[in-house]
Amino acid sequence: MSSRKCATNIAVVLMFAGLAFSADTVRKDLHFKVGKKPMISINNPYGPMVVKAGAPHQVLITAILHSDKVELDQSKSRNRVDIVSHLLPGADQNTGMVEYEILVPPDANVTLHSDTGRISAEKLHGDVIVAGNDGPIEVADCADGHVHVRTLNGPVSLNNVHGHVEIMSVGGDVIMHGVTGTMVAVNSNSGRIEYDGDFGEEGEYAFTSHTGNIEAVAPAYASIEVLARSTNGIVQSDFSLEPKHAPFIVKSANSLSGTLGKAASSVKLFSFSGRIRLKKRQN
Amino acid sequence: MTDAKRPHSSKLSEAEAIERAKQGDAEAFEFLYNLHKRRVYSLCLRMTGNVASAEDLTQEAFLQLFRKIGTFRGESAFSTWLHRMAVNVVLMQLRKKGLPVVPIEETTEGEEEGTVRKEPGAPDERLAGSIDRLQIQRAVDELPPGYRTIFVLHDVQGYEHNEIAELVGCSIGNSKSQLHKARIKLRELLRINRTEKAGRR
Amino acid sequence: MNCLQFENALPDYLEGARTAEQQAHVESCSVCSSLLADLNLISSQAFSLRELEEPSPRVWNSLEIQLRQEGLIRQPLRRPTLHSLIFGWRMAWLVPAAAALVIVAGIKLYQPAGVGDNQPVAKQVAPPVTPAQPATSAEDRDIMKSVASRPPAQVAAYRNDLEQANAFIRDAQEAVRNNPNDVFSQQMLINAYEQKQMIFRLAVDQSDDGQ
Repeated sequence: MSSRKCATNIAVVLMFAGLAFSADTVRKDLHFKVGKKPMISINNPYGPMVVKAGAPHQVLITAILHSDKVELDQSKSRNRVDIVSHLLPGADQNTGMVEYEILVPPDANVTLHSDTGRISAEKLHGDVIVAGNDGPIEVADCADGHVHVRTLNGPVSLNNVHGHVEIMSVGGDVIMHGVTGTMVAVNSNSGRIEYDGDFGEEGEYAFTSHTGNIEAVAPAYASIEVLARSTNGIVQSDFSLEPKHAPFIVKSANSLSGTLGKAASSVKLFSFSGRIRLKKRQN
Repeated sequence: MTDAKRPHSSKLSEAEAIERAKQGDAEAFEFLYNLHKRRVYSLCLRMTGNVASAEDLTQEAFLQLFRKIGTFRGESAFSTWLHRMAVNVVLMQLRKKGLPVVPIEETTEGEEEGTVRKEPGAPDERLAGSIDRLQIQRAVDELPPGYRTIFVLHDVQGYEHNEIAELVGCSIGNSKSQLHKARIKLRELLRINRTEKAGRR
Repeated sequence: MNCLQFENALPDYLEGARTAEQQAHVESCSVCSSLLADLNLISSQAFSLRELEEPSPRVWNSLEIQLRQEGLIRQPLRRPTLHSLIFGWRMAWLVPAAAALVIVAGIKLYQPAGVGDNQPVAKQVAPPVTPAQPATSAEDRDIMKSVASRPPAQVAAYRNDLEQANAFIRDAQEAVRNNPNDVFSQQMLINAYEQKQMIFRLAVDQSDDGQ
């Protein structure tokens, strides 16, 4: 074989390597026409899902099935598209894996479930509902809709998300950057909760945990009413808050209650035994 | 639990659904919700201009309705009762946010100038026959909140001025004059939009 | 009548209060008749906005949850779908939490006069009560049975998550028993049950789909 032909063959192999193709791997491309604010639902036990905003009125799905032990069940009715990665007998985490790349209209409402895969949603304006087991969940640049995330142990990351946000996690850490809305609620067990933002939009921010630490970083100009309490942990604040009456007895080491600025937003930080810190952003 | 769908039985009447809802029948609630959701939601959306707020207010309005459904005796139409509740929910929200519910009565200075200009030989720039639903929807969304409230309540939702006056807490005269100003403003917005559109061709 | 006078009378004119003079002016003035036609058009087109849009399905989903929580819907839940993973699970699991709160509220009724809301009431005279237990080990067994066929690492993770959720429930219940009027403790108890419920739904719903 000439060196040129050899190089070409190597290039072809390398090109396909990125797609993790094997002899049994099958690629499926699905295309659906939809109306305004369609409902897209994908249930994929094993494998990553990446959802991005695409052109209006169409849903484009590329699915890489890793073996013949998994098939796609698809249904479309009116303005709703449902896709399920259906595991056949004998399928496991590897043979049952399907990798999804999905383009949806920006105003689509999406519901995504994966046990182990990474789930990513970005640039959407509809509702984003995500449920995972231990795979990472990332939501970025979404606004105007509701973002609901449920995970057992997967790390959750929200970046530049504005709207109504509800997150529940047992052991997964929840990290939020630039998240604001009328309601931002996080309920964690041992996962830590980190927030870095301005608590804007006159919203209600409620971060609660059982044992996970809670850390919130806010700017000096934040306008918030703060209620923080940890039954068995320490509560610390960089801010000098204007004292305010709390619905519980305020003990200096375990709780605090006060306002900053015009107290436009409500911030509740509650933990059973996690440490709570309210930090001032250093510019 | 499934998404809200069309009522399962076309034979179920509203009156039957109300009685069954009083007994806690889930399908009856869903039937009533589907029957009235568009009107309530459109009202909330037109008044707030915001999808997320409109959905939250729609939910709140139906929740208040369903909590009180046991007291409904049929003295008025169910839809009227629901709708009045929805309007109150929205107005309360606007007040809570400090947004104007109704514009303050202006002085007569602006009214003396008027909007009509008699210009001999000026072309007749009628809108007649040249606006569609999308155009008017966009123009309504651009109205200042106070004008939008009166316009939505009267022209979109069909309330009379005496009802509007009671709902928003203004005089009947104020309601009439503000409605007129809202329509004039809409006319300007629609003309501007049409001119811009023509300029892009 | 001039145009300014006509325009000032327009609000009442459009409501049907018309004089012959106003009528005559409209018929003779192209500018005012144009204005009148436009305002009538706007008013008539406005009606088309009455039922233009439809809320997203999540509105009904959230509403139904709340109706069930408040006991306004008194029927068993239907078989869950993927969407109900998030919205369709709260009622049954919040019953023990609600029961716990009702029972500890009962303790409050027996407080001697003068006890403030923020004071712990554990030492007050109260009828003997049995606080609601967290979901029994039978529920835990159901959850573990649902995930039994999964990879060992996942099964171990579920077991660990269940232990965490149960620990949270125990701690929150004790906090509510010690401080029945404490809103913080009450909220923690609700949160704890919601976490347990989430584990249940994730285990059960996925075990129904193609496993």
